[in-house]
Amino acid sequence: KAKNCGSQKVFHSHVMVATNGSCCSSSSSNAFGSSTVPSGSGTFENMHHLHRGDDAECNGSPAKRCRLRRRTESVRKHRPPFPWFGMDIGGTLVKLVYFEPVDITAEEEQEEVENLKSIRRYLTSNVAYGKTGVRDVHLELRNLTMCGRTGNLHFIRFPTQAMPRFIQMGRDKNFSSLHTTLCATGGGAYKFENDFRMMADLELLKLDELDCLIRGLLFVDRVGFNGHPECYYFQNPSDTQSCVKKPCTLDNPFPMLLVNIGSGVSILAVYSENNYKRVTGTSLGGGTFLGLCCLLTGCETFEEALEMASKGDSTNVDKLVKDIYGGDYERFGLQGSAVASSFGHMMSKEKRDSISKEDLARATLVTITNNIGSIARMCAVNEKIERVVFVGNFLRINTVSTKLLAYAMDYWSKGQLRALFLEHEGYFGAVGALMELLKTTEDP
Amino acid sequence: MKQLCHHLAFPWFGMDIGGTLVKLVYFEPKDITAEEEQEEVENLKSIRRYLTSNTAYGKTGIRDVHLELQDLTLCGRKGNLHFIRFPTHDLPAFLQMGRDKHFSSLHTTLCATGGGAYKFESDFRMMADLELHKLDELDCLIRGVLYLDSVMSSGPSECYYFENPADPDHCVQKPCTLENPYPLLLVNIGSGVSILAVYSEDNYKRVTGTSLGGGTFLGLCCLLTGCSTFEEALEMASQGESTRVDKLVRDIYGGDYERFGLPGWAVASSFGNMMSKEKRESVSKEDLARATLVTITNNIGSITRMCALNENIETVLFVGNFLRVNTLSMKLLAYAMDYWSKGQLKALFLRHEGYFGAVGALLELLHPS
Repeated sequence: KAKNCGSQKVFHSHVMVATNGSCCSSSSSNAFGSSTVPSGSGTFENMHHLHRGDDAECNGSPAKRCRLRRRTESVRKHRPPFPWFGMDIGGTLVKLVYFEPVDITAEEEQEEVENLKSIRRYLTSNVAYGKTGVRDVHLELRNLTMCGRTGNLHFIRFPTQAMPRFIQMGRDKNFSSLHTTLCATGGGAYKFENDFRMMADLELLKLDELDCLIRGLLFVDRVGFNGHPECYYFQNPSDTQSCVKKPCTLDNPFPMLLVNIGSGVSILAVYSENNYKRVTGTSLGGGTFLGLCCLLTGCETFEEALEMASKGDSTNVDKLVKDIYGGDYERFGLQGSAVASSFGHMMSKEKRDSISKEDLARATLVTITNNIGSIARMCAVNEKIERVVFVGNFLRINTVSTKLLAYAMDYWSKGQLRALFLEHEGYFGAVGALMELLKTTEDP
Repeated sequence: MKQLCHHLAFPWFGMDIGGTLVKLVYFEPKDITAEEEQEEVENLKSIRRYLTSNTAYGKTGIRDVHLELQDLTLCGRKGNLHFIRFPTHDLPAFLQMGRDKHFSSLHTTLCATGGGAYKFESDFRMMADLELHKLDELDCLIRGVLYLDSVMSSGPSECYYFENPADPDHCVQKPCTLENPYPLLLVNIGSGVSILAVYSEDNYKRVTGTSLGGGTFLGLCCLLTGCSTFEEALEMASQGESTRVDKLVRDIYGGDYERFGLPGWAVASSFGNMMSKEKRESVSKEDLARATLVTITNNIGSITRMCALNENIETVLFVGNFLRVNTLSMKLLAYAMDYWSKGQLKALFLRHEGYFGAVGALLELLHPS
């Protein structure tokens, strides 16, 4: 049943040794403090508790015995203890996925420690946390089976700037006493490693962000989005009237060009689940869009910036081919409507005085998006890959950019390239981190 | 070929009407005989005098005296080649002048390239009764580049590169030539950018382009800092610190992103710190100008590098007026090419930066292809 969870041989031998009373854990953890096992999958800690549980059994209450039985079962099924989190600490946003078990038995509920219960309640009964935390309810994956348990997968995000508060909360809720491994990816897993340790006595299992991205993406595409496809593309992207969103799956996804647009951009050529390379990147990403918009328009949030952009006209700001040629630049196939020089009109005081903040926001969006599209296309041509998958939170609620990318891929490649998108946009790293915790694929 | 152009009437001009600037090259003959001088029509004489005795024209026209090529032999005539520029915005004033000086009565062909040769064709016709001979800007660019590099001049070498670009104390310009230049990646940074792979004088292709060019740098700078000219923008940039504005790899990772060889000082997200109100209030206009320069320059460098890789070309030549008086960008490009390619790519530059299209147009007048 639990055949997909971890390495069975290793687990069995450890369990056996433990029940014999001898502890052969290589963990140097003390009492119920944090573990210093670098490759913490939770198993050594389980074994350690098992050992203590044995000692306590003789004098233990029914609840304690129950806890022991549950942990034994857990270990036998190669499951780490709850809570199950995956975390991706990016340059701008922290993405958190949380697995809420819905198959908790009355027994399990009874013995559930208080802080675990409170964490579960806090996360699932709110959609906003503090001032800036948000749970994307529309992305919730319901009745998912992971590692033999059934539950809902929740998608939560908050600004990386609020990390100190998050760590504080982890400390206040005594998270470290739950002895779970916190699997974290993204640059912040490295940057904040010490803070987690010092402030909340938590050890992070650091994972590479691109490994997690790919693992998470393939998983979500496989399990689907509550019965619907996770993946989609745009049909007739060049035609604003008949451009329509169409579902698809990533069957035979390889090779694929994966473009991750976060604060910055990474472009990967993926040949199989475990074989990929980072082709290149660009520093002109989502962070550039937001940073420039804040400076140019006085807005403060991504949502405000997008709102403004949706109402602006970038052609008032950009110098087009027709502004220079009076029409098309036929010799090299450049239409008059193509942008020759982004923000090129803004060197003229007259034009600066005549445009609106909305026009500036739109021009910023179009400039950043088209630059990414152009670079992605060059990579696709160079790597000889026809399928380009765009992910990352720059595309969150950003239909202008997704359509622009779809159009650009199609137009400049004369229909050779196809742009694909995924509903869970920026959460794949966090999902991949959760999967590392569980070391599992979905149960059949 | 020389015999052919002997009959070509003066004045000899080449014109490149770009998105931001008009570049004009003018050949001033110095071997005029007494006889020739006597029969020279008045307006031709006045044009010659006006152009060569001034270094500024109207409010915005400038002659780059330091770029003048003296004692040049073109088409059997000896003279000086002058390099003049003015904003495309002021073309109407230029046309007016052409009309006032009865340029059309001189019956010369006006060879013009750049988008403006197409856009303003009817204006030339209507306002100054002048017919333009329109030429493609990239054809002219290549022709002009190859010619100027080959010209035997007593002045400094046309082509140069930077040694030790990463070391401000030891970074120095070194001369070179474009001997056996092919294949060559030619990156023309004007208002926008065109990237060409050149295989021989007559065989090239436009690989790609980017709309984030010199016009973007200037446009964004004007918006962000309140400056009005390219020179002001560069002045500010030279005094600013872009790392306050940009989010670096170390700001996200706390150090290097070792797995993929990204050093902590590399920019992860340009302008990425500017989403924070605190940081916005702590940076200066100079920092913003610097960040704009660095962002545009590095983006061009990055795209160029990908093209060089795709096309299997190791020599990259950067031209265009974005690089005029812009040592900061040139050094950045030199460094980026070298660093990210681990020494495989070499960045080269040319003194006459943005004038090659105009030179190519002049050459077309003298030696029609």
